[in-house]
Amino acid sequence: MRYRSIWSEVAPLVAKAERPSRYINHEWGSVLTPEADFRFCMVYPDTYELGQANQALRILVNAVNARPGMSAERGFLPAADMCDALRQAGLPAFSIEGCAPLNSFDAVGITLPHELAATNVLEILDLSGIPVRAADRAEDDPIVVGGGPCAYNPEPYALFFDAINIGEGEESLPEGLEVIRSLRAQGASRRDIWRALAKLDGWYVPQLYGWRSADEAQAAGSWIEPVEPGLPITVRKQIYRGFAQSSGWEPCVVPFAEAVHDRLNVEILRGCARGCRFCQAGMMYRPVRERSADNVVSSVVEGLAQTGYDEVSLTSLSTTDHSQIRRILTRLNSAYEGSGVRISIPSQRLDSFGIDMAGLVAGQKKGGLTFAPEAGTQRLRDVINKNVTEDDLFGAIDAAFEAGWRRCKLYFMIGLPTETDDDVKGIARLVQQAYEHARAVVPKDQRGSIQIGASVALFVPKAQTPFQWDGQIPPEEALRRVNLLRHSVKYRAISINWHDPKTSFVEAVMSRGGREASYLVEEAWRRGARFDAWSEHFNEQAWRDAADSLGMDVAAIAQASYPTDYIMPWEHISCGASRRWLVRERALAEQERTTPDCTFEHCSGCGVCMDLGVDNELADERVLGSAGSADAAGKLGTVAGAATEEGANAVAGDCAVAAAAGADSAAVANAAAAGPIGGDAR
Amino acid sequence: MTDPNAPRFFRLRCIFIEQGRLAMLSHLEVAHTLERTVRRAKLPFAVSQGFSPHMKIAFGAALPVGVGSTCEIFDLQLTEYVAPDKALAALRAASVPDLMVQECRYIEGKAPAASVAFPTSTYEVVFEAPISVAGIKVPETVTVVRKRKEKTLVVADYLVQPFAAVEGSPERVTFSLEAKPTGSLRPDVLLEHCTLPARTISITRIAQR
Ligand code: SF4
Repeated sequence: MRYRSIWSEVAPLVAKAERPSRYINHEWGSVLTPEADFRFCMVYPDTYELGQANQALRILVNAVNARPGMSAERGFLPAADMCDALRQAGLPAFSIEGCAPLNSFDAVGITLPHELAATNVLEILDLSGIPVRAADRAEDDPIVVGGGPCAYNPEPYALFFDAINIGEGEESLPEGLEVIRSLRAQGASRRDIWRALAKLDGWYVPQLYGWRSADEAQAAGSWIEPVEPGLPITVRKQIYRGFAQSSGWEPCVVPFAEAVHDRLNVEILRGCARGCRFCQAGMMYRPVRERSADNVVSSVVEGLAQTGYDEVSLTSLSTTDHSQIRRILTRLNSAYEGSGVRISIPSQRLDSFGIDMAGLVAGQKKGGLTFAPEAGTQRLRDVINKNVTEDDLFGAIDAAFEAGWRRCKLYFMIGLPTETDDDVKGIARLVQQAYEHARAVVPKDQRGSIQIGASVALFVPKAQTPFQWDGQIPPEEALRRVNLLRHSVKYRAISINWHDPKTSFVEAVMSRGGREASYLVEEAWRRGARFDAWSEHFNEQAWRDAADSLGMDVAAIAQASYPTDYIMPWEHISCGASRRWLVRERALAEQERTTPDCTFEHCSGCGVCMDLGVDNELADERVLGSAGSADAAGKLGTVAGAATEEGANAVAGDCAVAAAAGADSAAVANAAAAGPIGGDAR
Repeated sequence: MTDPNAPRFFRLRCIFIEQGRLAMLSHLEVAHTLERTVRRAKLPFAVSQGFSPHMKIAFGAALPVGVGSTCEIFDLQLTEYVAPDKALAALRAASVPDLMVQECRYIEGKAPAASVAFPTSTYEVVFEAPISVAGIKVPETVTVVRKRKEKTLVVADYLVQPFAAVEGSPERVTFSLEAKPTGSLRPDVLLEHCTLPARTISITRIAQR
């Protein structure tokens, strides 16, 4: 199909759409290259206001546009009303900058930000007139590539992608597109393009691999079987080696519509090596790479000047672990005092240093603080390697309430491996003690304003983590444990927040399913599932019926536990952490033994650095208890597995929600996920 | 009583156009965009004191979504004097083309706010084909739903200048509506309730007084 603008045809629909500004382009910073011999559209599989906040989208559009002769545009899934209006009018989904049909591009990239976006991938492909299965695409259909956090278990998406990019996409994506461009120019067939991509580092081409049965897979040590000789059997993640030296300021689009996290985001470091055993982001983004204080400060200054934003967020998985964070915040504070510019840090350590840093950015406005102890007892926190003690938590609470904060939310997970009723009751004990600490330091007349809440999410086992072999607890059991927790809380001032996880079986299947899950996705979508992350759109029946019609036991996929010698369906994808290390971590969990953070202490041998030939890159030395927290042992507390979100149409969640000064959880994950084609780890 | 020590502000009135696709922006979206434009232009804007400081900027009467304009207004408080042509150049360099500042001038500190100073707006409608004004049938009343309550507006109370032909442009007409303290009639709503001889292409506010 010829590349052309269809604006005149869609304009009447846009005028009547729920929020026209989602579709009109012309924002400050929007770039369209009129002449290009290769056109790429980078799609976020949800609406504009969610996708526009995604740093990966911005980074990758810039990276592709930087290549001579290549043009990259943004694409989003239209909101439900617009999807329907377009279908009715017989019009395709279109790109933002050029308003061109997606099927007129040479290649289309779709980021996979979280487990509940799969049916949206099919929705946008279908709406674009692109066959949803890669195998059914014609020679001149776009090459559809995927990436992002969910690519670390690519199988549930295997049917739909020509190729999947594993890891950080800054360099890897344009490389892959160059291959597509040159082969297309030579008139190569789709299959030839698949072959060439499969041989490129970091690219997985599912159509070139057969899928074994469970028995065969266990015997062979891998679920995939190349359909022809010469194909690799493991695909290793790629990282952006220039990250630390590259500028934290990236040209960006300033949306008209109020987007989620509508502010300047400066990614100050990538990766987190704390090694929480449930956390996929912590495994995916190793090693840790810090941008220097000078880089960060000048990036913020430049970014605010160029965009006109009045807020900047210093994003990462563990912002307050940055070795120069105090220097960064102090310098930014003095630069922007009295200007109305807000600085936010989405995550802080769960100790008094974290509160110190939160205090530096909060100024007079002390909203709510959030922390993620994750588990209620020291025993279970050791199991999950959350190196946080009660003293850390209470030290943080004392410091926070003394400094003037009055609201605090604590994130926990329920259903973690080895959890007992005592651990569940431990959550209540911990929250109550936190409340008592707060009361003790708050003046009598202000005690009524103390609010402490616990937000509880169901543990979802994630691929590429030491807990990948562990099953999820059944929904009835989850409910029993939550009720046990509720009944164990004696103070009325404490609220327990539990989100009924209707979507959690979908998340678990997408997170741990094999290739059969992609048939399930297709069938669920055919039966009407889309926008699964939107509670008002989630169509549980469609998923249940789809599973029935395929004879799939989704509960078993979610709940089955395996011994660690069992080969999981994503083991042909390597995030760098070795199988041996994951197995050892799982064993240490059983023994309730912790593993230190390699950016503070010694290397624990996860294997990423050797595998990729890289090292942690810190701007300065990270010192334990560097800022007044006297106790040693890297008492850290950010990355949570909680899946809650204040935002109305929040994407229900996935791994890395972070403790947030100002309750902005998704940002963290969002930042960390910037590298891969991938989205916001939520 | 005026406080002699009160900080001195300079009140810059800016006129801007809103056209093309950007006529589809909501009032709030326009307001956000202009604040960012002012920041990008690096003008010395005043910031309110207190808990959550914000830019001292005030906007004129809201334009309905879908209606364009050649004469929108915002007032900006500056802490330093900047020559109007310099301010204009800076704002233009920081604006997107379809939301472009056209004119800047200083106004009295006590001048009424832009949102109430100009109750009467003149609109220009472009039709698909040439029409005769006589072909437009205006209803006596228009019923609108506001805050879930039905309200019946008498058109004559608001339509202070009835539909008039534009010389030399047979596909265009103009009309003026006046906002009342009790409420106002939107131009697009009025047109929806009129019997029109042809399909409308666009509605643009061309004057506020
Ligand atoms: S290999 Fe060692 S230093 Fe590198 S990320 Fe893994 S544990 Fe840390």
